[in-house]
Amino acid sequence: MRPEDVLPSSFRDPAGFVFRSEGVIHRAILAPGRTHYDRLMTSGLYGELVAADLLVPHEEVPPPGGGWDDLYKVIRPEEIPFVSYPYEWSFSQLQDAALATLEIEKRALRAGMSLVDGSAFNIQFIRGRPVLIDTLSLREATEGEPWTAYGQFCRHFLAPLALMSLQDVRLNRLLQVHLDGIPLDLASALLPMRSKRRASLLLHIHFHARSQKRYEGRSARVTKGRVNRRGLLGLIDSLESGARRLRWRAAGTEWADYYADTNYAPEGLEAKRRAVEGFMARVRPRTVWDLGANVGDFSRVAAAAGAFTIAFDADPACVERNYLRVRAERETNVVPLLMDLTAPSPRLGWENAERQSLLDRGPADAVLALALIHHLAIGNNVPLEGAARFFAKAGRSLLIEFVPKSDSQVKRLLVTREDIFSRYTREHFERAFGERFEILERIPLAGSERALYVMERKAAVPD
Amino acid sequence: MSGTRPLRLAWLIVLGCGLLTETAAAYIDPGTGSYVLQVAIAFLVGLAFSIKVFWKKIAAFLQKLFARKTSNGGDAS
Repeated sequence: MRPEDVLPSSFRDPAGFVFRSEGVIHRAILAPGRTHYDRLMTSGLYGELVAADLLVPHEEVPPPGGGWDDLYKVIRPEEIPFVSYPYEWSFSQLQDAALATLEIEKRALRAGMSLVDGSAFNIQFIRGRPVLIDTLSLREATEGEPWTAYGQFCRHFLAPLALMSLQDVRLNRLLQVHLDGIPLDLASALLPMRSKRRASLLLHIHFHARSQKRYEGRSARVTKGRVNRRGLLGLIDSLESGARRLRWRAAGTEWADYYADTNYAPEGLEAKRRAVEGFMARVRPRTVWDLGANVGDFSRVAAAAGAFTIAFDADPACVERNYLRVRAERETNVVPLLMDLTAPSPRLGWENAERQSLLDRGPADAVLALALIHHLAIGNNVPLEGAARFFAKAGRSLLIEFVPKSDSQVKRLLVTREDIFSRYTREHFERAFGERFEILERIPLAGSERALYVMERKAAVPD
Repeated sequence: MSGTRPLRLAWLIVLGCGLLTETAAAYIDPGTGSYVLQVAIAFLVGLAFSIKVFWKKIAAFLQKLFARKTSNGGDAS
């Protein structure tokens, strides 16, 4: 018997499962996982991986409840502050997750173990670094056995990285459709011819796809082929150099040079910064969602005030730059993620329950929505009531900037289209948001016609 | 078209290695194509890895040798 609150994303593994007890995530290790877990803990691999920030640390705890069949142990891993998915990562985030996976496999091989999965969903960004969260995916290795995760690694990491690097960075969104990684025949068909000049991509994507096609639907009888240690190390090395060589430069997209390109006066930015600081001091949120974060300048103001901050943006170049900054400055409490608010991540997978939607992962204690409302209301025709409804679901406190029609940025949005937005006014904005929020303060931004609003979600809000 | 000839040759080599694997014994699940390819290329990538490690060792040795020589030279002047 298993407890009621097994996570819906955890049903494939016979060696264990993940469940929630009193709001805290636990992992049950069942009898089939026993030798693997013991080997992990006694071989020194666990300590080594945790010390290198490659594996989530855990502690063993007594089973809450009990009476489950074939239970061996229950562990409580360190809490992951925000679960993100590979289709929400920038190029370098996916690349770092790939390299972390391969580094774990290399270290595991030395300890006589191996990763049984090569799934990008097993990696989460904790304290700014990609970390393996599936402790039970490390298994005792059988001498001579090929790497079972090879195909999955290529689908989850190498194929999307190659497509993003050599074809178009937006192709990472294929991971949202293909939850077990991009089919290699699809990747092979989409990649440009020049990808075949790279040995690693030729072997691990193009030939891999052909080999899969050749054996598809055939109940081929194959010998249990042996891959010796040198072969395994060679395979990992080849995948690693293939993944490492792929590059994507974050430039030339619409928003990455936003602050350099706008008519913001420096004092306007400074006033906004002070307003964010004031908001943080007033609300003292533990979690902040910065929606439309650009490269994360204001996310860092929130993070500096102690909040764990998710910096969402729809532009891959902004998210990439933001992540590179997190990495370079070893920031631990900012996670940049790719998110198109007009089509945020939905619930996906089996029973629509394996992967959570954006709003499932909230609400945040506080939301920042700076220079965003005009893109939703005018760029995407969302009525202000609809915007208010969304923000009320996303967070409890809200710092939102109203950008009036007279603003040059809004004028720019209206240049090529008819102005059908007669209700896009300050008065209507205040009325629409006032239905769901208490408006606590209005802060005019000097040097512009914009204003910031500090709001608190009402206890009972209409649907 | 001439560019595709080496590719075809490379594929035939990999395929040939795969056929050696595909002779008899155990039945393997839908990941067969990945499995066969991995076994087929293991020798190749393993060899490449060994050569890489070997070269790195030589490079490190030469670097050390060179560094020692320059530091000796520095002492002499």
